Amino acid sequence: MADAVTARRPSRRRRGAGITPWLFISPWILGFVCFTLGPLIFSLTMSFYDWPVVGERTFVGADNYRTMLTEDPQFWHSLGVTVKFAAIFVPLNIAVSFLLAVLLNTKVRGTAFFRTAFYLPSVISGVALVTIWSWIYSQRYGLLNYLLGQSGTEGVNWLGDPGWAVVAIVVASLWGLGGTMLILLAGLQSIPKELYEAARMSGVPPWAQAIHITLPMLSPMLLFTFITSIISAFQQLTIALLLTEGGPLGSTYFFAMYIYETAFRFHDMGYAAAMSWVMFVIILALSLLVMRSSSAWVHYEGEMKGKGGTDG
Amino acid sequence: MKRRTVIIAPAILAATFWGGMTFAQDKVLRFATWNTSPESIAINQAIVTKFEEANPGVKVQVELYGDGFDDKLTAAMGAGNPPDLMYMWNYPAYYQSLMPLDDMIARDAAELNLADIPSGLMNGGLIDGKTYGMPVGFTTHVIFYNKDLLAAAGVAEPQAGWTWADLRAAAATLSKPDEQIFGFAVDAKPDPFDFEEFFWSNGAQYISDDGKVLDGVMNSPEAAEVLDMFGDMIKTGEAVALNIGDQTSGSDLFKAGKLAMMEGAMWNKGGIDESGVNYGVAVLPAFGDKPVKSTINASGISIAKDTADPDLAWAFVKFFSTPEAVALRTNDLPIRTSVAESSGMMADPKLAPFFAMLAVADGTVPSFLKNPEWGRIQENLSLAIEATMIDQGNAKAHLDEAVSASARFLK
Amino acid sequence: MARTFTYSALIFLSALFIAPFLWTLITAVKSDAELVAYPPVFWPETWHWENFAIAWTKHPFNIFLQNSVIIVILSTIGQLFSSSLVAYGFARFRFPGRDAIFILLLATMMIPWDVKMIPLYMEFNYLGWINTLKPLIVPAWFGEAFFVFLLRQYIMTIPMEIDEAARMDGANAWQIYWRIHLPLMVPALVLVGTFHFMNAWNDYLGPLIYLNDQSKYTLTLGLALLKGLHNEADINSIAAITIILCGPPLALFFFAQRYIMDNALGSSVKG
Repeated sequence: MADAVTARRPSRRRRGAGITPWLFISPWILGFVCFTLGPLIFSLTMSFYDWPVVGERTFVGADNYRTMLTEDPQFWHSLGVTVKFAAIFVPLNIAVSFLLAVLLNTKVRGTAFFRTAFYLPSVISGVALVTIWSWIYSQRYGLLNYLLGQSGTEGVNWLGDPGWAVVAIVVASLWGLGGTMLILLAGLQSIPKELYEAARMSGVPPWAQAIHITLPMLSPMLLFTFITSIISAFQQLTIALLLTEGGPLGSTYFFAMYIYETAFRFHDMGYAAAMSWVMFVIILALSLLVMRSSSAWVHYEGEMKGKGGTDG
Repeated sequence: MKRRTVIIAPAILAATFWGGMTFAQDKVLRFATWNTSPESIAINQAIVTKFEEANPGVKVQVELYGDGFDDKLTAAMGAGNPPDLMYMWNYPAYYQSLMPLDDMIARDAAELNLADIPSGLMNGGLIDGKTYGMPVGFTTHVIFYNKDLLAAAGVAEPQAGWTWADLRAAAATLSKPDEQIFGFAVDAKPDPFDFEEFFWSNGAQYISDDGKVLDGVMNSPEAAEVLDMFGDMIKTGEAVALNIGDQTSGSDLFKAGKLAMMEGAMWNKGGIDESGVNYGVAVLPAFGDKPVKSTINASGISIAKDTADPDLAWAFVKFFSTPEAVALRTNDLPIRTSVAESSGMMADPKLAPFFAMLAVADGTVPSFLKNPEWGRIQENLSLAIEATMIDQGNAKAHLDEAVSASARFLK
Repeated sequence: MARTFTYSALIFLSALFIAPFLWTLITAVKSDAELVAYPPVFWPETWHWENFAIAWTKHPFNIFLQNSVIIVILSTIGQLFSSSLVAYGFARFRFPGRDAIFILLLATMMIPWDVKMIPLYMEFNYLGWINTLKPLIVPAWFGEAFFVFLLRQYIMTIPMEIDEAARMDGANAWQIYWRIHLPLMVPALVLVGTFHFMNAWNDYLGPLIYLNDQSKYTLTLGLALLKGLHNEADINSIAAITIILCGPPLALFFFAQRYIMDNALGSSVKG
């Protein structure tokens, strides 16, 4: 295929982008400047101040950062909780979504129903979702423990046992993976059927088809879900805030929750801003790592790399 | 064409002029509230409407912040765009953006009839000697009890002057675990602001009076005794533990007839009334012969420091404190003794205990007023309380942990 | 054999996913006593369907609905248009700084909301947009990183030959975008539209911060009003409104999924 492209490329204009691509991405650039850059700079400034919501603001330089990294056990604790959560959630999120997508991609009757069923939870808003899960996880009146009791095992104090609370939140978060599943499903469906046909006719077994066709063709979407899962894992707030309130005994005190409380309960905007930036840097570093590794395992059919390709 | 313009142009001019005049006349006061129940929202609106009737050309925009009250207020104040008027209880957090009212109170003292308002309530809004809010309502804490459950178990109804030993004995008799009925409920994650009343009743407090010392205060033997007692009640089954893996509230259980006795305040009363449970109200029990204390949750109304029209805002605040407006607020207790007496509230057996608790509530200063970093210290205290309830005891160890974790905030 | 396995797996899993939703439905129609009963009541004695009407009238939900609908429709249109434009720019062109700017775009996804919230509020306040629906609609017309990323990845699965062929026929960049890529992107666009719709529909923090008086409130704020302070939650109403809230995104999804699953691409590539 690559040969066909080179052979056909007309050498009309000088290779150079011109202004066209900039026109296309201009909405985002504009939005970035208006709605992101300003607030970002402002919050960065705030992070170098002792900035209470009301009252005097004093410049403290890097003091917020120093306190955070050296004097604040709560910072490390909440970071640890978040990392633990991400380590469990991200792989599960991708794996289960992928499995569901594969199942849905087969020719079964009633796919519309199943798809809707899997997608349904992600449609429910945060506040409502938490209320629902609190009724399920309730130690005494909850659905889950009741069902477990019926089947012989003793119920667990899902939200009250420090060991189980994180698991409870992982499951509640996974419940909303309908979105991820859809993305992977759309990716699966866009893989040309001809590839599978050709492979089948050449006698390639199904598992090999999966490894050599499905995964590579799906890899751009997998990359996307990988990165977005990491981002959302680190920013996990609503479920912890409303379902367990960071408990029991701080076992679900996520980093995002610490930031939220610092800003809205302790009214310490400067410190909260500093922590937000630290979170930002961590997520950025992780994502860059993943992106960098992506050249090794991600395959693009229509990639604009190096000198090949067209211009505007 | 020309004829039309001749008619249209002056019409437009007149309209804008007239519209402009009405617009200029309609002064808008923004009033932030935290009510969520339809009844209390309606009550607010009734008072507001009366004010608007008495003051033509003024419109009060009632803003319902509900659950996100603090979030919204923080954002608005942080951005320099606070509402003109707002409900207020957390004075330490916001007072720097609020207008001190002392001058206006002094000027209109006669109109306000301050003698009619218990000083304990006026002091609620006092920071550094200045008053930042007029009280609009209050509640103290009491024990609600289910008369039918008590009668069925042969337990006598609580009397004034009863002790925790009495309560525990009653709870032991009342608890029927197989029927999922409990004698009492202990909240593992209480609001420390409310919870301090138990410390006070046992002669303890969270932090020293000058707000500088925790060690020996927060983890004093009396303090540990309080927590251990509650933990023990969970252990023996006298009480059910709330908020450990469960978000069912004490009032939900009480309303369903599954809880015999419950510590609560005015905000529970409306729902309990609706539920039809045959209930009574008693004062809080005492620790032996130590004087019993209750928390006062006083809500006030405050004015933003840089409001456009301070006189108008103050007029609203005054209106809210008139006996008529006070009488309209049936969702919590009236700040004016005159209203309490004339409406027969003080004679109502279901309301009298609230007033009784108010009467003994002098001399206690809530800890959150004593140290600006209290918010962070309180987090550690909450953990200690929760840990003790989960552990069903071991209070001293947990309180010690809270004290050492909070040391860095006392600097 | 494989077929039975697939079916049973699907049925079992979908039961797991639907169960909480059904539980909510049952909770909405229970009586007060049944709410705290143990063992949990699975089939309420009487199905109090009137709880839905009661919940709806507790607050002016009609107005809330109106506001939610306006916000969601206007912002979704803007999102679809702007995100696809930007994604096309990143996917199909090579220009200096492209990769750097793309990383920047990715980075913006990682910015916690807390960081931007108050400065953004101040900015909107300065523009006079507080207590209007504008802060909830306008930013969507400038493209959102998440969707740009998604669409860019999707466009990159479309082989270059298609662009080539079009260019041979004399099409310029805009026409390639408008006539060729947009139709090909339909599955991804429907995905983006559905996601965005859902996000905007369920948005809580945004409306909470930017809207002051009740006449501008959205449905999610209405739901929050039912939760109340001091744990005096009205469980029946919360469950009822939750169910109602789920309706439109679900309906949208049910109709939209047909397009997501369109496999037009397969037929346009001929080896």
